[in-house]
Amino acid sequence: MASERKKHRPLPLVALLMAWLVPGAGHVYLGRTVRGVIIFVTISATFWAGVGIGGVMTADYQNERWWFMAEMFAGVHGLVAWHRHNQVQNKVLGGEAMRERLSLAQADQKLQEEGVFLPYPSDTVARAYAGVAGLLNLLCAFDAVVLAMMGATGEPPRTLRRRGPAEAEA
Amino acid sequence: MTAWTLFYNPVLLSSGAVLYLVLPLLAAVAVIYKTIRTKNIRRLWLEILGLILYMYAGLAALCAALWLLMRYWK
Repeated sequence: MASERKKHRPLPLVALLMAWLVPGAGHVYLGRTVRGVIIFVTISATFWAGVGIGGVMTADYQNERWWFMAEMFAGVHGLVAWHRHNQVQNKVLGGEAMRERLSLAQADQKLQEEGVFLPYPSDTVARAYAGVAGLLNLLCAFDAVVLAMMGATGEPPRTLRRRGPAEAEA
Repeated sequence: MTAWTLFYNPVLLSSGAVLYLVLPLLAAVAVIYKTIRTKNIRRLWLEILGLILYMYAGLAALCAALWLLMRYWK
């Protein structure tokens, strides 16, 4: 029985990777399916609300590195947003060599012509939403790793009801 | 420029709208925090609601304090 339980002990590294890649998957791996689904829905909705407000330029690793790092904690969502950003940037501004020749004002002009330039205050809101979603996923991944290290799987046991005096006497 | 497309073109917000968009973000923080912290999953939504109201009340109190400060500070 003890060896059977030991065999199913969750691996912290697997929990970390799953929790980072797909928000909530770390909790599903630990047998906390309902929590995993709630985490997935909330983080996905928050992240894509941010990208919906900011458009394709939300995950901008060249001009907003700190926000970009926070967004990448959202796992697959962040990677998809980054991929789309690269695609559009290459289409509008050209490749790496072409981009280096453009000044910041020229690049902004080209983005405005394409209709993807992200102005203030939309940029603040968009990056706050996507970045906070990533940071919340980091919190969830940390929780999943700690639970895996403790070997805790499934929902925690319900606390026992405190016995009244009549029950205690019986 | 093509027609406006979701997830491609940005939404142009006014400065006033930014403040109201803090509220759903706080709700998301409350949902995630309580989802990983609660012991009893059956009471989850009640606890989330409590935390959201607590955060909104705190924000309203902060707004009121700052407004009073701006209004009466000599």
